[in-house]
Amino acid sequence: MNRSIWTALLGLPALTVVSAPAYAVDYLNVEQAQRAVIPNATSFTAYSVTLSPDQLKQIKAIAKVPQRTDKPRVWKAMAGGKQVGWVIVDEVIGKHEMITYATGISTDGHVLGVEIMSYRESKGDQVRNAKWRNLFKGKAVSDPFKLNQDIPNISGATLSCRNLTDGVKRLLALHQVALGKS
Amino acid sequence: MNIRFAWAAAAACLAVPGVAHADENLLGYNTGAEVLPKGSGDLYVFNTLRSDKGQGHYRAVDTQLEVEYGVTDRIQLSVAANILSIDTAGLTIDGYLPKPINKGPRFSGVELSAKFNVLSPALDNFGLAVITSVEVNRLDPHSGQDKLEYEAHTVLAAQKYFMQGQLTWIGNIGLKAGYEDRKAIANLPEGFDWPTTPEMEIELSVGTGLSYRVAPNWFIGAETQWASEYETEVGNERWSLFAGPTIHYGGKRMWATLTWFPQITGGGEKYEGQTGHLHLIEKTKDEFRLKLGYNF
Repeated sequence: MNRSIWTALLGLPALTVVSAPAYAVDYLNVEQAQRAVIPNATSFTAYSVTLSPDQLKQIKAIAKVPQRTDKPRVWKAMAGGKQVGWVIVDEVIGKHEMITYATGISTDGHVLGVEIMSYRESKGDQVRNAKWRNLFKGKAVSDPFKLNQDIPNISGATLSCRNLTDGVKRLLALHQVALGKS
Repeated sequence: MNIRFAWAAAAACLAVPGVAHADENLLGYNTGAEVLPKGSGDLYVFNTLRSDKGQGHYRAVDTQLEVEYGVTDRIQLSVAANILSIDTAGLTIDGYLPKPINKGPRFSGVELSAKFNVLSPALDNFGLAVITSVEVNRLDPHSGQDKLEYEAHTVLAAQKYFMQGQLTWIGNIGLKAGYEDRKAIANLPEGFDWPTTPEMEIELSVGTGLSYRVAPNWFIGAETQWASEYETEVGNERWSLFAGPTIHYGGKRMWATLTWFPQITGGGEKYEGQTGHLHLIEKTKDEFRLKLGYNF
C-alpha cells in the first residue's frame, strides 16, 4: 500500500469534518420570545439580578441541577402599570450545542409559557411544537418535572427534553429564591 | 490496492446526504447505550489502522461500511461489510504470519448486529444496552491469508451522563466466540506451523472511557480496553491492554471520531525473537481508528 492510498482512506474523510457546514437556527429574538411567553404584557423591563452563592445552593437544592450563571437574564413583564410576570432567557445543554429558551413565569410562580429561541440539534425539534411546550403551562416548582411522567419524552432528543424540563424547573426555583419577593 | 477505489470510497463520505442522530459514537472502541429512534438510519464508515509488531513492517486497515436502522425506539439493527487492506514484510510468526503480503482493499465478510436499549441514559439516569452480533469473514485479519471465520459477539454497554450531559461515561463488557478454519498455503518453509484444522477461540473484553464536551460540537475523551483470548488447547493464550485519547465532532449532518489506541501492556504467548511485554502476535503496538457517521 502506498502513501496515496492511506491519504485517501484516512485523509479525505477527515476533510468532511472540516467541510461540514456550520448550522445555527435562531427562531426568535429576545423581544419576540418575551411577547410570545407573556402575550398580555405591553412592556418588558430588564431586571438586574446577581445570585449569591447561598442562593445558587438553594436553587440547586430545589431543582437538583445547578444554576450555571449567577447573572441570569431577567425581565419584568408589565401591563397597565402593573407587573404581570417575569421573563427569563436561559440556556441548557443539548446533544451538541446549547439550547436557548425563554420562560414566562407569573408573579405567583407558575409557568406562563416556554419558547425555544435557538435549537440546533438534528433530531427532536418537536420540542419547538406548541403542543409539547404547552405542557409546561401552569406548572409550579412543586411539580415533579419528570420525563415520561408529567412531561412526555421525544425519541431521539431525550437529553434535550430532559435538560429543558430540568431547566424550566430550575427557573421556577430561581424565581422562588430570588424573584418571588421582588 | 486500487487507488481509484480508495478515493471513491473516501469521496462517498462527502456525497452522502444526511442529518445527525442519537447513536453517535463518542468513543472509538467503547460503545454507548443509546439507540437510534424508530425510523431513523445511519451510514457508518470505520477505518482502523493497525501498525507495528516490533520487527519488520506491518500495517493493516480494517474498513467497515455499516448501515444501521432504528426498528423501534428501543431496538436497532445493522448490517456491515468488512474490508481488509494489509501490507507486511520482514517478519514471519510461526503459526500466525506465514509470509509477506501486500493486498487490499479486499472484501472480507459481513456482520449482522442488533442493539437493544434496556435503560436510557437520559431518561433513566443510567443507560444499559445489549448488543449481539454474528460475523462471517473469509480473510484472516492478522495475516491477510484465506481463513473462514464465524464469530458471535455479545456486549453489555453501560452509559451515564454527568453535568447535564457535558460529561459522558461509557463502560463495556464483551464476550466473543469464534470458529476458525484456515486454508492451506503452498510453499511454506519446512517446519512452519500453519494449522488447517478448525479452532475455537473465546475473547473476553472489558472497556471504559470518558468523553467531555469542551465546546459546542466538540468532545475530547480517553478510553481503555482490556482483552484476553482463550483457545481450546492452551487456555488463556494472550491478553492486552490498550488505552488512548479520542476526539469527537458531532454536527447536524454528520459526526466523526478519531482515536489513537496504543497498546500499553500485554502478556501471554510471544513470537520467536520478540522483546518487550506486549501482545504482538495478533495485535500491534498502535491502532488509529477514524469513524464517520451520517444520518438519513
